[in-house]
This record gives sequence, C-alpha cells and structure tokens, in this order.
Amino acid sequence: MIRSEHSIVEYDFRSGTVIADRLLRGRDSCYIDVARRLLQVYGHSLGEIRQTVHARAEACFSGLPGCPPRRVAAFCKLLDDQATYDSDPKAAVALRRRVFELAAPLHPIVQTPEGIFDNELHAARTRIAAQIGIPWAQIESTLFNDVIELQPLTAFESELTPPSLLSLYNVAQTQAALYRATSVCIDATSDFKTILKHAKLAGLMHRITRLKRPADGFRFELDGAQSSLRETSRYGVRFAALLPKLLACEGWRMKAQIIGPNRRMMRMELSPSDGLHSVLDPPDAFDSGLEHDVDAAWKSAPVDGWKWGHEAELLYQGQTVMTPDFSLRNDTRNILVYVEVVGFWTPEYLAEKCLRLKQFTQQSTASSDHQMQTKWLLIIPKKLPTSGQTQLADLGIPIIRFDKKSRGADWIQAVL
Amino acid sequence: MPDQSRPARIDFHQGTVRLFGMSDEFVQRVLTDLELVWDPREACFRCDAMFAGAIRQRLNDSLAGTLEWQVGRDAGQTQTSLTINDHRRIKLRRDQIDAVEAFEQGGGNGLLVMPTGTGKTVVAIELMIRNRCSTLIVVPVRDLMYQWHSKILEATGIDAGLIGDGVHRVSPISVTTYDSAAIHMPRIGDRFQMIIFDEVHHLAGPWRSDAARMSIADRRLGLTATLPSDDQRLAVLQQLVGPTLYRQSISEASGKSLADYSVQRIAVQLSEQERQRYRELSQQIQKFVFDQKEIDPRFKWDDTYKLSGMVREDSQRATDATRAMRAFQAKRRVEEQAESKLRILEDLFRLHTGQSVIVFTGSNVMARKISTRFLVPCLLSHCGKRERQEWLQGFAEGRYPVLVANRVLDEGVDLPEVKTAIVLGGLSSQRQAIQRLGRVLRKGSGGQRATLYEVVVDDTNEVQRSRDRRRNAAYQIKR
Repeated sequence: MIRSEHSIVEYDFRSGTVIADRLLRGRDSCYIDVARRLLQVYGHSLGEIRQTVHARAEACFSGLPGCPPRRVAAFCKLLDDQATYDSDPKAAVALRRRVFELAAPLHPIVQTPEGIFDNELHAARTRIAAQIGIPWAQIESTLFNDVIELQPLTAFESELTPPSLLSLYNVAQTQAALYRATSVCIDATSDFKTILKHAKLAGLMHRITRLKRPADGFRFELDGAQSSLRETSRYGVRFAALLPKLLACEGWRMKAQIIGPNRRMMRMELSPSDGLHSVLDPPDAFDSGLEHDVDAAWKSAPVDGWKWGHEAELLYQGQTVMTPDFSLRNDTRNILVYVEVVGFWTPEYLAEKCLRLKQFTQQSTASSDHQMQTKWLLIIPKKLPTSGQTQLADLGIPIIRFDKKSRGADWIQAVL
Repeated sequence: MPDQSRPARIDFHQGTVRLFGMSDEFVQRVLTDLELVWDPREACFRCDAMFAGAIRQRLNDSLAGTLEWQVGRDAGQTQTSLTINDHRRIKLRRDQIDAVEAFEQGGGNGLLVMPTGTGKTVVAIELMIRNRCSTLIVVPVRDLMYQWHSKILEATGIDAGLIGDGVHRVSPISVTTYDSAAIHMPRIGDRFQMIIFDEVHHLAGPWRSDAARMSIADRRLGLTATLPSDDQRLAVLQQLVGPTLYRQSISEASGKSLADYSVQRIAVQLSEQERQRYRELSQQIQKFVFDQKEIDPRFKWDDTYKLSGMVREDSQRATDATRAMRAFQAKRRVEEQAESKLRILEDLFRLHTGQSVIVFTGSNVMARKISTRFLVPCLLSHCGKRERQEWLQGFAEGRYPVLVANRVLDEGVDLPEVKTAIVLGGLSSQRQAIQRLGRVLRKGSGGQRATLYEVVVDDTNEVQRSRDRRRNAAYQIKR
C-alpha cells in the first residue's frame, strides 16, 4: 500500500463524490512507456542509493504534462516494496561511533586553521581513516548508509509488467482514498463468507441487511467500535486492507463515506465494472475436499423442488456470524434447510463448531429469511472418531454420514 | 430502572465502554450528560472509555449490588494499589510542591503549565508515587520514552513497560508515545487508572485525541511549557484532560530554576553562486504568482498546492504549480544549507572550545552535513534507541563536545549542563523557539550565563522567520 501523503483524489463537490487517481489505458497510454522505463530503472540501478534510484525514476516522468509529484512518489513506493535495499544499521552505527570517538579530541576540526591547536579538516580525516583502516572516501559514503534515502538497492526481482504496475498503482490509489473513509457499505450477491471473514480479520464491525433487489444478497455496513460515537477515519486503513480481497470477489458494489475537505462527507463508489484488478486469486470455492464432494453429490442427483445453494445464506447474532456451507430451499413448501459440513476433527475445531451451531440452532437468530421454516442438517464423513460423533449428536441435529454413495434425496428425508 | 430482561453489565470494548441491559429512560435519567449513544449493532449503549469513571460513580448509587462491572483488568475494584518504592534523593522545590498540590486540589484532572527545565517530570513522578496506581505516561518522541523509563527506574526502582519503537511490553507503570497510544489504546485503554500526557499540546487532532478518549483512566495529568494559543484547541485539551490547575511563566522561572541567558543573532551572506541560484528561484516563483494573478486576481500562494492537483482540469497550470512548489523548496534548501553557516559554525566551535555545544538544524540533511563536516554525532529520527542514548550520554558526560539535532530534540529530552546552543534555520513556530530555548536554559551546577546563537542568512526569508520567533516572551525576557 502507498502512504497517505501519496494519495491523489479528485473531489466533485456537486455530486459529493471522491474519485481516486486512475491511469487508463486509452487516456493515459503514455504511462505504459513510463512504467516500462521505471521497471528498467529499478532493474538497472543495483548498487545505487535510494535517493539516486528515486531521482532516476522521477526522470522517467519528465515531459509528462501535469504529472503531480505524489504520483511519482507513489510509483517509487510501490516499486520500493518490490525491491530490496541493503541496510546494516549495526555496521553504520559502529562506524559512526568509531569516527566520532576518534574525532572528539580533535574538536574543533577546521578548514582554515588560525591557531596552533586547530586541527585541519583534511589532516584530521586522513588520521582517522588511517586509525580505522578504511579510506576516507569509503568512510564518508557508508557513514550514514542506514538512513533510508542513503541505502543501496541490492535486488529487484519483480514479476511486474508495465500494465500490471499501472494496475497496482490504480488499486493502491483507491486504497489510499479509503484511508479517510468513515464507513463502507458493500452490497453483495455472492462471496458473503469471504467478505465477512476479511472484514472480521480487519477488526471491523458490521450491520447486515437482507437485499431482495436487484438480486438476492446482503448489505454489509462496515465500521468500527468508535464509529457510533463520531465520524472517524480511524478504521480507514482497515477498509483499505479489505479492498484487494473484495476485488477478488464477484457480484458486489461498494460505497464508502469519506471525509473530504473541511470535514465535508463525500462518497466513493466502486464495483467490478470499474475494472480494478486484485493481485489476489479469487477465493477458493470450497473449504475442504468433503465440501467439494458433497456439492458434487447433490449436483449429480438433485431433488425436484429444492434449490441448492453454496454459502448462500447468512445467520447473525450481533457481531457473530455463521455462513452455513450449503442451503436447501423449497419455496413451495416454505422450508429452508441449512446444511453444515463438518470436515475437520481437531478438538479445537469441533469445540468451536459445536459452540457456534448451538448458538445458531437453539437461540433466536436473525435469519436470512424470516418467512421460511428453517431446519438444520449436518453432513460428516463416514469414517470419523467416536468422540466427535458424540459431541455432534448432543446438538440434536439430523446427521448424514457421507460417502460417495450418498444421495440428496436421503438428506431431504433426514430433515423432514 | 435498568432493562429488567437482562442484567446491567458494563464492559470495555476497543476504546469504548458498552452498557448492556439498561433502558433508555434509565440512561436518560441517570447518565444524561455523558454522551452515550445507542448502538444497534450490539444492542447496547456506548460511549468513550474516558467516561468510565463517571459512569461507575453514578451507577454505584443507582445499581449497587446488581451491576456487573467488567471494565478494566481490575474489574470489580475501585482502585488497585501498587507498591511504589521511593528511591529519590531530591527534595521538591516550592514551585514544584505548589504544582503537585494544585493537581490534587483540582480533583486529579488537569493541566500544569511549567517552563522547560523547571522539573515537570519531577512533579509527575511525585504524583505517580502519591497515587500508587497503574499509570501510563504518554510522550511525543521515542527519546523521551526511554528518558522517562530511566527516570522512573531511578526514582522508584520500577522497570516500566514500554509501548513503542518496536517494543510492546505493557506493565502497570508504562511509557508510550502519542502515536503508539493512539494505535494501541483500543487494547490497553482499560489497564491504567492514571494517565500522564507529557508535552500535552501534542494531544491534538482526532487521531491523537483517541489516546485520551480511549483510556478509562480517571486521573489525568497534562504537562506542558506552552498551552495552545488557539481557544478551540485549548478547549479540547481541557475536555480530554481537565482544566488548567497551575501555571508558571518563563519570567517567573528564569533565574530561580533556569539559567540566565542571552540571545545573539548572527547574519551570514549567501555565496555568489548561492545568491544567483536563490535569485533565479525567487524570479521563477514571482513569475508564477504574477501569471496566476492574471488568471485569477484572488490567487494566493497558499492555493498553489491545490492547483498542483488539478491534473485533469488544467494540466499546464498544475505543472506550473508543481514547478513553483519545487522552486520554493529549493529556495528553502539554499537558505538552510548555506555554506557560510558551516563557516560560522567553525568560528563558534572555536570560540566555545572546551564547552558542550548543541546545534539545531532545520533538516536532517543539514544535520548530517554538519556531522560529516565536523565529525560530531547527530541525533536524527532514524537513530535507534542505543545510538540515541549513546550520543546523549556521551554528550552529557562531555565525551562528545558537540551534538547536532534536527527536530528530534525539540521537546523534553534532557541535556544537562548545556550552556551554548546554536540554531541554524528551522521554523518560525513560537513553540519550537521556546522548546529550543528550554534546552539551553537548564540550570546547571555552575550557574553561568547561557547563550543561544541564531544564525540566519541575510536578505532571505530566514530573517522574517527569526523576527517571528523573537516576538515570543522567551526571547524578550533576557538579553
């Protein structure tokens, strides 16, 4: 991610919107060449100090009309993140200590001696260099090489191409615009579990609402503990961290509330149609092999009247959320079955799973659809430890012991 | 009355306090002025953690015995008593005792305004020892964090916790920086009963204010040499910490607890080459301003930054603005890094041979330039803990005759026995001026007169910035 001082945004006060800086293939095609040259600069500057590398990078932008310094700095930051600079603070500190200790009795070191006690600069340097055993030129070049701008570039092994560097820049600027966000609202029609998992990992709180239009889905309003007290951008970095994960998902639309100039509230909208690309892979379809097999088993022999969904429902109590692995929905009979696959058997996993299931099966829950009669079904592998079976049996939920011969019709029968 | 369906429960949650099981009517009646809001996300009332003490006081009267108080690691107890030994050999001065008593009589919440060098740390440690409770000290920079750690160790024998500079060791007595406090307070805000803000004027802006808002500490001490002149900022400090309980001016302190001092301004000239460059840059800026006024007569220099961002709307204007800003920065660099400053430094070092001299610069680059030229240590923000301590200690012991520093030493870091300081460049901020003088003014055992040299480049903007600094009382009292 880039730093907030690299952020470039455009405020449209009439519409109240924020637009993050974006380089487009058509309008900004000249930047493809800049990106190519930037990658070359970093690749060919091994051994140069960061200050020099940045100066060379800056030169790649010369002649571009209206290229703000922040854009240059942002590219340098993104490329620096892919590069390795040498830093040996211990060696630099040791050298400084030695030089300053040897120089202290010579103070003041002067260029124009006026008295017999003055120590002339060149003579002092020569003497100190001899005592340390390193030529003065080398001492001077390494005395402060632990300072960030003076660190030498030692490696640049990046798989970035000019277009992917521009893509990375566009995502980074959008993330930076979110640093000033107070809340984020995501309307999603799929990948609910991924979105909520990463919101949770980012330490965000949520409000969830069921959406019926334009398609079945959920609205996630994300912010933090302090957000109910005041408009705060405290959680902005967390929204920014969530963005690449969101970009890897499908079927979403995001609206962020952002603090603009003079603390005026502005908004930024984003969806997959904006064409920002995540560097992350799309989320895995299934959490386990068993889940994959269960899905395949149903699809090989579906039951008429029942609609099979993967992670299509959400259950929530306050800030606790559960996404049943599958759902079976019969709109004619008004029945919704939550199907949970228990594929792992570590004691910690089972304890957590049982606790979560107890919470959502035995207490009143904000369900995804209040109109339906809800039921639960557990699917477990045929071969499983006895201790696990007992724990799950105590929940009082129908259990299917799954193997390759399992059929969906049997699952329906078990819950009805 | 509380909501009868659930027991009344209060807990700490990420820098806030949640109140469960209370009806709207009850909250309105008993906790009416505490800025509580209903939070539908968790079906609770919520407020900043800083109100925990007030809530507890009021609920103890209304809900005694039926309240589940889960705020703080000492949940259920009103105060944890720590054993704090007193190893100090010093006796507090009268003005220091006055400050301590003012804080105690003020109810344990408030600001003490004392000039640099009058012993704010001594007062704070006295209060810490008297209160005997978990205490977090919040300081502006890492150097101060380690300095406080050493002073607490010396005064009490306690190896205080450190939160910041890559260390996260939380103890009942801990020291942290403002930024680390703002970051970590959602997790540690329930661990301290007393909070001390050193250089409390840093407690400004929504981010750093969280360091105060997110703490449950009901004893709050703010220390500073200079309160903000802006009424709004002062009001925020008073809301977050408390009212001003004690104030000592620099004129009251000078001579008693501070050394007498003089200020000498030295004007130097740019070299012919520098002057030429300076002139060219000035002309470039003047032309830009002239052109912009032609386009828009209301144009002000402050608009330049905004113009530089108008890349899409007017790329030529944005390019011109960017160039003008670069010229402005280059001009500042010419002033700040003028060769003649190094020559005058040579003379001043010669003049003060055998004495400790501290040099303040306006940039890291200049600090390193001086360090490399005169082969003296420089204290910059990149220095690690050990290196900082080594330079500071070596300087204090006289092993290093000179210490060069950029802004890192602006506030609070103790430099005993410094009688000569040289300011090269820097900002026009009055606070910076006072803090820099404070470094020079500490009264040593010798009691001799201290000198502050201010080196400015003639015929440049540095002269104006120097004039701005001199309007401050700290410069005007003694000459």
